Amino acid sequence: MSDTTLFKVTIDNISIDVPAGTTILNAARMIGGDVAPPAMCYYSKLEGSGGKCRTCLVEVSKGSEKDPRPMPKLVASCRTTVMDGMEVKNITSPKVVDARAGVVEFLLLNHPLDCPICDQAGECHLQDLSYEHGKEGTRYEFQRRTFKKHDLGKYIQLHMTRCILCYRCVFAADQLTGKREHGILDRGDHSEIATMIEKNLQNDFIGNVIDVCPVGALTDKTFRFKNRVWFLKPMNAHRDCPTCSGKVTLWNRGEEVFRVTARKDQWGEVEDWICNECRFEKKQSSDWTIEGPRLIDRHSVISQGHYAGTVGTHMPTETIEAVLNGRKPKLLMDIHEVSEVNRPKIELSKINGPAHSNNFNPDND
Amino acid sequence: MGRKLLLEKAHVEGIRSFEVYRREGGYRSVEKALKTMSPEEIVEEVKKSGLRGRGGAGFPAGMKWSFIAKPEGVPRHLVCNADESEPGTFKDRYLMEFIPHLLIEGLIVSSFALGSNATYIYIRGEYAWIPDILEEAIAEAKANGFLGKNILGTGFDCEIYVQRGAGAYICGEETALIESLEGKRGNPRIKPPFPAIKGVWGRPTVVNNVETLASVVPIINEGGEEYAKIGVGKSTGTKLISACGNINKPGVFEIDMTISVEEFIYSDEYCGGIANGKRLKACIPGGSSVPILPANLMLKTAKGETRYMNYESLSDGGFATGSMMGSGGFIVLDEDQCVVRNTYSLARFYRHESCGQCSPCREGTGWMEKLLYRLEKGEGKSSDIDLLWDIQRKIEGNTICPLGDAAAWPVAAAIRHFRDEFEWHVSHAAEAQTRNFGLAHYSDPIHVPA
Amino acid sequence: MVQFSEAQMAKVNQIIARYPEGKQKSALLPLLHLAQDSFGGWLSAETMDYVAELLQITPIEVYEVATFYSMYNTKPVGKYLFEVCQTGPCMLNGSDNIIDYIGKTLGIKPGETTTDGLFTLKTVECLGACGYAPMMQLGKHYREHLTKEKVDAIIAECRSAAAANN
Repeated sequence: MSDTTLFKVTIDNISIDVPAGTTILNAARMIGGDVAPPAMCYYSKLEGSGGKCRTCLVEVSKGSEKDPRPMPKLVASCRTTVMDGMEVKNITSPKVVDARAGVVEFLLLNHPLDCPICDQAGECHLQDLSYEHGKEGTRYEFQRRTFKKHDLGKYIQLHMTRCILCYRCVFAADQLTGKREHGILDRGDHSEIATMIEKNLQNDFIGNVIDVCPVGALTDKTFRFKNRVWFLKPMNAHRDCPTCSGKVTLWNRGEEVFRVTARKDQWGEVEDWICNECRFEKKQSSDWTIEGPRLIDRHSVISQGHYAGTVGTHMPTETIEAVLNGRKPKLLMDIHEVSEVNRPKIELSKINGPAHSNNFNPDND
Repeated sequence: MGRKLLLEKAHVEGIRSFEVYRREGGYRSVEKALKTMSPEEIVEEVKKSGLRGRGGAGFPAGMKWSFIAKPEGVPRHLVCNADESEPGTFKDRYLMEFIPHLLIEGLIVSSFALGSNATYIYIRGEYAWIPDILEEAIAEAKANGFLGKNILGTGFDCEIYVQRGAGAYICGEETALIESLEGKRGNPRIKPPFPAIKGVWGRPTVVNNVETLASVVPIINEGGEEYAKIGVGKSTGTKLISACGNINKPGVFEIDMTISVEEFIYSDEYCGGIANGKRLKACIPGGSSVPILPANLMLKTAKGETRYMNYESLSDGGFATGSMMGSGGFIVLDEDQCVVRNTYSLARFYRHESCGQCSPCREGTGWMEKLLYRLEKGEGKSSDIDLLWDIQRKIEGNTICPLGDAAAWPVAAAIRHFRDEFEWHVSHAAEAQTRNFGLAHYSDPIHVPA
Repeated sequence: MVQFSEAQMAKVNQIIARYPEGKQKSALLPLLHLAQDSFGGWLSAETMDYVAELLQITPIEVYEVATFYSMYNTKPVGKYLFEVCQTGPCMLNGSDNIIDYIGKTLGIKPGETTTDGLFTLKTVECLGACGYAPMMQLGKHYREHLTKEKVDAIIAECRSAAAANN
């Protein structure tokens, strides 16, 4: 079978032709929108990842054109390749919705609800997942699991209690650093990420484990408790780095660089891995050539506050006249005249920090 | 008395030695297979025999063999699954301890059929003394030309190695076993690819249970068709059953799958009845993972027909009123046993053995254990029972490997058939700590609850 | 310092030779058994690093495996490790009473070691001796059909063996 063979797959009644060997999840991502199942452990850039979290389970209602029998169980869409004529149900399957709600509940069972003090809040995939697929409240009435603290050195903070054991950081360390020093220890519900003997993680690329972590289990120590991600402005920037591509996202407040991350695509996946020096040591605007605002094309908290996103943040390009088909709109009042807050002269992006009512006070002009 | 194909010679004095085993007719199948048959003919013979995998899933062995990929220049491997860890199951241990050459003989024939020049026996680590027995048998077979280079002058080379596990039930799952054999954590692989395509070290691999591979010996000796005449329907040949719990004669029995459950439990030839003159309350007929059945449904099917000790009859009625043959671990509970407590004990087992790789099993097994502990201690709520039901339902079928199902089924079946006992643990919490719920209506073999 | 003897190294090489070229990691489980038996009944970080070096793999690969399997002790244990099964069929035959009895006799709870370092009591899950319940593993072998009297005899046997060795 050559690589150019195309298979037709229908997901939630939407058909698409994809190259043979494509997984259901990636086919769904090509369609986009709600058809793409959520993925907590799968990471397209990490070989061998996926299959573990079970959030991407889908129903295969028709195996293929040749063998139309449905698959008996829900399958992990991230690890199941499409067949020609396959029909898949994601959000159109009550079974999938039910199972996914179950998985979300399982993932949250022992997850501390410490979002208010978690640096990942706002860009946490588990938050998004629970918001979209979970239920209010928990039925778990037992003490949550805790772990002994492990120190991973000056750059990376490990909160094992928040870990959902996606194994992404293990794959990342394997595939990016050559010599992995941390791993999954113990078994079952006591499995944990650790180095066994207390050891600092030292490798030029180890910082990327922070970016691949879907939750707040691995966070950036140099950014710890410094700011909320949604108060920061993501900016594309680059520098001439001898170790990595040097292409990053700066998270600024005013001129101040609060943190540096790799650039992430619409699925939250890193585009280019970056080195520790870029991530942890270059916190001056002068270190970087700023390209412009970073589009956060996800329906996350961050995008709500800032730039073009998928939900309600698209600015229409047509003029009102065009929309009204030539009719002149009747202006009842000018909002800027009646409202104190909406003052066109004040550019929000030029305010240092979150806007305050004082900023809009005409006395301060 | 039924025919014995595997254990017939198990108690002959000195049968562990090659000399005695050979004198009793051992290794004939190797001579027959390697000298007069082609690998394809052997696979065909096993297919004809109707032999089903004896490890638990009951998948037709010949079919499994025929799936093995044969890419040019890539070695293939046969791996013997001796990681017998299912609670209630100890038949493979018995076979390996008493008549090790039977397994080695079966392995040689099967290795030839599958083209495996290096065959591995993966044995659970706790059976620490058995590798010595097996290695002794392997050395003897080798010294007598049945293993090693150019076996019996046929040009076929084969080595058998014994690998000890180190305490992990999950390694009985074939892909976890393969991972473990590769020196890794026993995390089951995500399938596909199946081992027949990509198994140990990425090579085509067949993993079979000890009893399955030992059964290849009588199949080759007598012919697949003859073998298929024993037993009934799709339950051909003989099956080893390890019986335990509250019975007079716990142990390993070879049955020909035509006897009834009642005969198996009460006849002196097998379990010898319930210990201490008590009455039968329930049975888990195929290892702890399969659904528990109350006495009435154990002895008779929901249709009121006699239930027999074979694959079809044990699963008659599906999970609603039936169970499974599983691995043949037959656990008997007498009238003094508490189903809630037993279910808790099994839930603890599955929590302990979950590899922790996928979320429903990692989190769900622990949750079920905690709820069952609370119920058993008389601290539960009646809503806990519904919650348990919901949890098991959300684990079943949604995990990477069958351990999730294995953890879910016992809980589901216990609630399905013994819900009143669970409720009694809530409504009579204090009393439940001092006495047992007893038999209620379960002793009545005719009455089947709606 | 941990170091296999020459005879043990011959065994190590024999084990590694069972696997295809370059797949020496497969020897990890057998080597950890050998190391545990040879170096005090448990696997220290030093022991595990040594095994990693022998197999040319990273230490974390060894730690991951050693902590996964229940038979490897990553903490020191007593000279005699009583591993008593508590799963379903053993429970039906009174394993809880046996565990209690051993605990009371030795003055320890499951998971603990006696102060003289002789005994460790550990509860384990199904060891495949369900028909011979209740049972425990002691070293390489199983002790089956346990009763209080049998437990007493086993403890006495261990004590006298320990005394003879000193």
